Amino acid sequence: MQINWKNELNRKGRRVVLSNQPVAMHCHHYNINLQKTLEDTLGEEGVRLLYQAAEEASFDGFQTLFSQHKKLKTTESKLEFAADIYQNCGLGIIRFQETDSRGGQIISPAGHHVTGWLAKHGMRKTPGCHFSRGWIAGVLEVIYDHPPGYYSVKELACKMMRNETCVFQVTEKLKRKRKLKT
Amino acid sequence: MPIDGTKIIHAVMEGSRIRDAKGIIPLFGVYLSIFFVPYYNRVSFEFEKKMGKDQDVEAASLLIEAAQECGYATFHGIQNSWEWQEIVEPMIEKREDQIFGFTAVALAFGWGDMEVRELVPNERLLIRVTDSYEAARYAEDHGPATSGKCYMLRGVTAAFMDLLYGGIYPEGLFTFSAEESCCRAKGDQCCEFLAQKR
Repeated sequence: MQINWKNELNRKGRRVVLSNQPVAMHCHHYNINLQKTLEDTLGEEGVRLLYQAAEEASFDGFQTLFSQHKKLKTTESKLEFAADIYQNCGLGIIRFQETDSRGGQIISPAGHHVTGWLAKHGMRKTPGCHFSRGWIAGVLEVIYDHPPGYYSVKELACKMMRNETCVFQVTEKLKRKRKLKT
Repeated sequence: MPIDGTKIIHAVMEGSRIRDAKGIIPLFGVYLSIFFVPYYNRVSFEFEKKMGKDQDVEAASLLIEAAQECGYATFHGIQNSWEWQEIVEPMIEKREDQIFGFTAVALAFGWGDMEVRELVPNERLLIRVTDSYEAARYAEDHGPATSGKCYMLRGVTAAFMDLLYGGIYPEGLFTFSAEESCCRAKGDQCCEFLAQKR
């Protein structure tokens, strides 16, 4: 389904809205500063907060978006729509290559946070796309009708570390726990 | 006041609909992203919570500094962009008009209706906002606050003064600092930010 971006992204009084939901435009300076502040101050807890905040906002946002686009019935069309929104929001390119309700692998050849991090701080030693991991978790939980927190998203390769693309592995949290027990 | 804010809003809305082949929005000299407001509020207010009550002042300072540094770099990029030169510069008659250009861009970005109430060159800047997304959401989620909660707007107000009167970029950062004297999160009618020299 082709997105009519002029209708989707609009103004409601003084606010900017995406399908009637309030959004803010922020540049890489702010997004990366927030990430660095949280990572430097809280360490792993800060990383978890960035991930969970993105997951929750993405979950709530896409639940509303899909309820307003009832023509999107198939999983494929919803995945395509989500990738278009990601791109239209300036977040980068995302490819849901092999995903089903149990998870899968997602590739991102370009991203706002990658471009921003590299411009401000250069290469990282650890994966840094915490926002994108959370965004992916939230959107897949809506598409496959699971509650927030259902998926775990790990970044196997990251362009902030000068890998060729960012590669995200999505798994079910409960299944992972069960596997670890056996 | 010669700055036509509607022209700037129009330019931002049109520009934000154009992205490059990598899904990046290069606009006004920065890379722009668009995302749901609750994300930013959750990051700020949960960060503050996780830092603990004895470190809440430190948490607020870090968030304000992050915003001030961002505002300084962002609006420096904006000032030097071709969009600014094409759209805003022709409307600028005196140095202080740039602040009105900055607030129009902030409104266009969905940060709030930053209204300049007082501007004493090189001394003080008072900005009023009636619909800060930070204040609105804080009160909804956490109840009334005991201190101002608009960390992003507070840092950005100081950054405007840093850019105009702080000296040559990037030396001018943190020349000014801002206080939030009233905030809707505390139950006030509006949020107000006063930037003064440190």
